[in-house]
Amino acid sequence: MGSITDVMSLVTTLWSMAAAAALTLAVLYGVVWTVDRRNLANLTLCVVAIAMAFVARAEVGMMHSATIAEYGDWARLCYLPVSFALIGQVLFVHLFLGTGRRDLLWTIIGLRLVVLIGNFVTYPTFAWRAIVGLRHARFLGEQVSVAGPVVLRSWHWLSVASCVLIIVFIADAALRRWRQGGAEERRKALVAAGGVGLPLAATMVYAQSVLLGSLPLPLLVTPAFLITIMVMAVELSRGFLLYRQTRQELEELRSELARAGRVTALGQLASALAHELSQPLGAILRNAEAAELHLNRPSPDLAELREIIADIRKDDRRAGDVIEQMRALIKRRTLQMNPLSLNELVQDVISLVHSDAMARHVAIDCIVAAGLPLVSGDRVHLSQVLLNLVINGMDAIQSSPGSARRIVIEVRPREQGRVEVAVTDSGPGVPPEVIAKVFDPFYTTKSGGLGMGLPISRTIIEAHGGRLWVERAPGGRGLTFRFTLFQAAAAFQTQHALQAQGAVS
Amino acid sequence: MNASGVVYVVDDDPSFRTAVTRMLAAAGLSVQGYGSGDELLAELAGEEPPVDSGCVLADLCMPGLDGLQLQQACTDAGLELPFVFLTGRGDVPSAVSAMQHGAVDFLDKCAPQQALLTSLERALERSAHARASRAQRAQLQRRFGALTARELEVLEQVVRGRMNKQIAATLDIHERTVKLHRSAITTKLRVRSVAELTTLAREAGLFV
Repeated sequence: MGSITDVMSLVTTLWSMAAAAALTLAVLYGVVWTVDRRNLANLTLCVVAIAMAFVARAEVGMMHSATIAEYGDWARLCYLPVSFALIGQVLFVHLFLGTGRRDLLWTIIGLRLVVLIGNFVTYPTFAWRAIVGLRHARFLGEQVSVAGPVVLRSWHWLSVASCVLIIVFIADAALRRWRQGGAEERRKALVAAGGVGLPLAATMVYAQSVLLGSLPLPLLVTPAFLITIMVMAVELSRGFLLYRQTRQELEELRSELARAGRVTALGQLASALAHELSQPLGAILRNAEAAELHLNRPSPDLAELREIIADIRKDDRRAGDVIEQMRALIKRRTLQMNPLSLNELVQDVISLVHSDAMARHVAIDCIVAAGLPLVSGDRVHLSQVLLNLVINGMDAIQSSPGSARRIVIEVRPREQGRVEVAVTDSGPGVPPEVIAKVFDPFYTTKSGGLGMGLPISRTIIEAHGGRLWVERAPGGRGLTFRFTLFQAAAAFQTQHALQAQGAVS
Repeated sequence: MNASGVVYVVDDDPSFRTAVTRMLAAAGLSVQGYGSGDELLAELAGEEPPVDSGCVLADLCMPGLDGLQLQQACTDAGLELPFVFLTGRGDVPSAVSAMQHGAVDFLDKCAPQQALLTSLERALERSAHARASRAQRAQLQRRFGALTARELEVLEQVVRGRMNKQIAATLDIHERTVKLHRSAITTKLRVRSVAELTTLAREAGLFV
């Protein structure tokens, strides 16, 4: 056999390369799995790839066997990685398509284990009792050992049955997935059927032909397994790419929603803002008319005219301020953290909702603790959160009698450099199952509501490193929404500490 | 402007209030500004004789009494003043409610000058007209006040179109006495015919 083993043959080279490629993929996806352990598909690929590397080694051993005993030993050894590879592929299809039949899955795993155990209690292998001589065949331009006539055990058909079941399982899962419709569903069905099912079926037919003696070729499963592994790897990496893309889209969607939330809040306030604008604009108009009437007189009162013009300027500035506030609210912005006074912020928001509150006969009380530190935050976003909570509160107490319509905004320092803002309404309260859901996206109790206000508010507060939560109002029936922020200096330190942590890890 | 009377401007926004009173004054109206409905009520309640002419130009949306509540409070206090409402947000429900309660008009704060002046003129005219008809009725009631109780009973029968004989039977008096009462009535009220008597009684709001 010197001619076969002395020089590095083509078969050895190719099979070693396949094993190396498989091991590389196994390491890669093994690491990926340890990072994200929930994604078991990565683990199945790792297992199948390792198994394939061992199968490749065993096949080279079989092809280079000098004796029947040696051939039998390699074949016997080959059962272990083949079983792992088959079970791994079945699990991969199950995870990948999510439509496989569980009873079939467990039957297959059970059958393969029976075959595997049977293989190690029989000799030489589970499939055959004996091989009647080794033959030499030409394969890829060289001489390799192939089995001569094989005396099969009837147990052998159990192994074949397990393979048929696997193919049925894959075909069934792919068909179910295909029937779900949709381009992605159909693509996945084709990938599973064509990339895993078809190579397996072809290999099985080939192996049976070899075993039954109609093909004078070596027993080989490596090429099929290699195709399957490649398909699995491409599909899983596609998952990574899509995941990144999805995350990016999610990010964009979130910022879009935050803006939509602001627009909704604005929509609710539109009439109030129109009112805010109509005051100064109306005043400007009336003053201009008054000035005109004065000028039509034979001797206009110049002092009066000067006063009128000064008033017009003042009201123009007022209108400009209202527009500026509105623009700041609409603008799409990322967080701009600055030290800011919560007292001012609360007053700003109160002045924004002032006319709305008045129209709805709601009294807004504000309790701000003395000597409150500045907090670190984005003025516009925090205004939006507070605005949202106050408007929610006003909506909640709509049904209360006029005298009891009250919203209390309370700001006070808390431990560890935090400042807490609480918005309490005197509303009729809500059942616990509603309280549990108020932060769910698209959950709303208002007819025209989007259900995005509170989730967006929570996102904003969490982006500030704080918390936003709800509880029953102390001593009342309404609700209290509380959120915390960091006081400016402490927030700076925390950020600093986080950066230091990031550098270490 | 042929209508007279004070325009009471009620608005919580000082700069708008100043501007609108300034303009109305320059347009030749007599104007008084108030920061809230309560201020106006306090001012008018103390007036002697009671204010019976003029109109109110009120912001619909105010702290304390809002425009509609102020209108109701005025009615309750016996102040018959027409209202013109101003609003920064033309919401339909309050407009409907305002008109149902007898508002003369419902205007945007930035409404054209002419529209505002026309509305106020109409309100003042309505006020003057109401005042005149009130005065006329009061005068008529004074004239009827000169009649005795018996004469009033007879008058009622006459207005209802009954003949002397029937009246005598109903009141259980002599027909001649009825005639005497009738001539006393026509003398006191200075009327010449039964038709005139009937019209006058109706204008005075009697026997309706």
